[in-house]
Amino acid sequence: MTAVDRTTVQASATGPDPSPDVGGRRLPRALHPMAWWVWALALATAVSRTDNPLLLFLVLAVLGYVVTARRTEAPWARGFKYYLYLALTVVVIRVVFRAVFATGITSRDHFLFSLPHIPTPDWYAGIKIGGPVSLEALLSAATDGLRLACMLCCIGAANTLANPKRALRVLPGALYELGVAVTVAISVAPQLVQSVQRVVRARKLRAGKAQGMQALRGIVVPVLEDALERSLRLAAAMDSRGYGRAGRATRRSRHITGALMLLGMCGLCAGAYGLLDATAPAFLGLPAMGLGALLCVAGLHLGGRRVTRTAYRPDPWRLPEWAVAGVGVLSAVLLLANLGYDPAQLNPTFYPLTWPALPLVPTAAILLAGTAGFLAPPPSPAQRADAP
Amino acid sequence: MTRRLLRAGAALGLTAAFLGATAAPAAADPQLMGRCTTTSGVVLAVDFSHWGGPIYRSCGTTPTTGYELLNQGGWSTTGTGHDGPAFICRIGYSGHQNGKQYPTAAQDACVLTPPASAYWSYWHADPGAKDWSYSQLGAMLYKPKPGSVDLWIFGATNAEGTEGRPRVTADQLRAHNTRPQGDAGKPDSTDKASPLPPDVDTGPAPEQPTTKPPKTTSPEPKPKKTKSSVSPSPATSPSKTSSAVAAPRSTPSVVDAAPAADAKHDTGSITPVVIGAALVALIGGAAVFVARRRRRAE
Repeated sequence: MTAVDRTTVQASATGPDPSPDVGGRRLPRALHPMAWWVWALALATAVSRTDNPLLLFLVLAVLGYVVTARRTEAPWARGFKYYLYLALTVVVIRVVFRAVFATGITSRDHFLFSLPHIPTPDWYAGIKIGGPVSLEALLSAATDGLRLACMLCCIGAANTLANPKRALRVLPGALYELGVAVTVAISVAPQLVQSVQRVVRARKLRAGKAQGMQALRGIVVPVLEDALERSLRLAAAMDSRGYGRAGRATRRSRHITGALMLLGMCGLCAGAYGLLDATAPAFLGLPAMGLGALLCVAGLHLGGRRVTRTAYRPDPWRLPEWAVAGVGVLSAVLLLANLGYDPAQLNPTFYPLTWPALPLVPTAAILLAGTAGFLAPPPSPAQRADAP
Repeated sequence: MTRRLLRAGAALGLTAAFLGATAAPAAADPQLMGRCTTTSGVVLAVDFSHWGGPIYRSCGTTPTTGYELLNQGGWSTTGTGHDGPAFICRIGYSGHQNGKQYPTAAQDACVLTPPASAYWSYWHADPGAKDWSYSQLGAMLYKPKPGSVDLWIFGATNAEGTEGRPRVTADQLRAHNTRPQGDAGKPDSTDKASPLPPDVDTGPAPEQPTTKPPKTTSPEPKPKKTKSSVSPSPATSPSKTSSAVAAPRSTPSVVDAAPAADAKHDTGSITPVVIGAALVALIGGAAVFVARRRRRAE
């Protein structure tokens, strides 16, 4: 059991009990992690296009359904509710900021309440603190926050559905060691929770009676010990698998790789700036972006030569992977294409108060993305919780 | 049904408002163009030439804010989802294209702050001022001086203020009559605007003009018609500071916009909300069902 176990054999299709799924005829297996990431990122792109609360709630419902239907029993697959808490926090912060740093109230607004007003000097007139708060302001702040919350939940769904350790294998060779570090880091929290659960259970079996602070001492020490042992084991496993070796790379090739990557990143940044700022000179846009991407690819290729890896059992990319990634991309395309609906319906305004519309094409696009819940094969039946 | 619900919501909001406040808000008075003089009232001008329309100008009483001027007498604005109503993203006038607001939703979604290359920029010309000055305050904070001109133009500006300056001169738009004209039954437009909602900070008060009133121009009689097209002489140079490249298009015509009823607002139907809620409930129910089933299978 190590975080870098690259040759793990997934216990697919070996479960003795039939799949708990409706379409249970298909063999349960884990979907390719990239398929889930493409699906989730495409959905997040679609969400970034709309401000319509109806569509946003629909996206949340679809995410919830797909996650409950297709998540595995692995430790990382139980975290979706924390992303929901995070999303709620985002909405609350947005609403509170809008209420406190009032952006103005119009004579047609519906007043709700008034916060104490802190006067600002004349030279600071652009910012107001406190003052009256209207229903319209709160509603529009809530929808604005909901959009960001939805995008967060999309990323959360990808993290929940895709196996991070298998996603690591898709990374280019040059980023491999970085990816290992990230994987080790993100699997710390679930492993700690497991440790705590195990220790608490052991205490119960031994009829440990201590409560409060005394019990805490009895739990913390074994958990820390467990963590130390685990990391020692992990280090030994990584060492035996040749982690961190430089391969056949010379000092010169490493320098060239570094320079290429750095220049490429600069190019990407300049390109992004040029594309976003309409007043920037034309050569800063797509050309800089393309040049940066080219340099990055060259750097990754050069750097990847020093890490040679073989896959014992590669993740297959079959029809379900195409289908899941496809419905995600299709929904994003439908929402970005502006076809068959009024773009104003995607971004309804609350000034003055208006019921949001439910445009047909975007709704269908989001429901289409939800079909990933059927298109993906059912997850492997419950494995040991600490299986990779 | 819808309307009743909305009204109930509004009543709720207002009741809550009255708990903390005492006065309901009301807008300042829109006026006929002839009521604005060189020393009283504010001329509001909006340039729709980006979409092939004219420059509309109308008159409002002082004291007021730039925002209030733009939201009375048939004028209406839309803010952005990110910045709220204070950022003027769209402007519409009920007498122009049935109150359609520009830029349209296809041109700018008005969700984020519009780019500096395409937005409504806000310009002032104080009484007697020859030149436009770029507004240093937002529409909700700026209080125009009596006899001044407020101009909104759509397009790009740069930080130096050399590009995107108005192509019309302040003199083409400002009121030239010294006495209010037309609709003599009404008193002069010096009456106070209705009070703002409590605790509204409308920014610093405008400086009162300390210099003597601007020299009165010859009181050329204005046409009595409320909606007359005053075609400015195109021969006049647009502005001495406007850059040479900005000149190729001819200045659009100036049309006086009479106070009009607000464009009818459609509150929409509650049916989509019900359908959307039902869909969300259906999918959520499916998720709960699947979750229960998985738990049982374990």
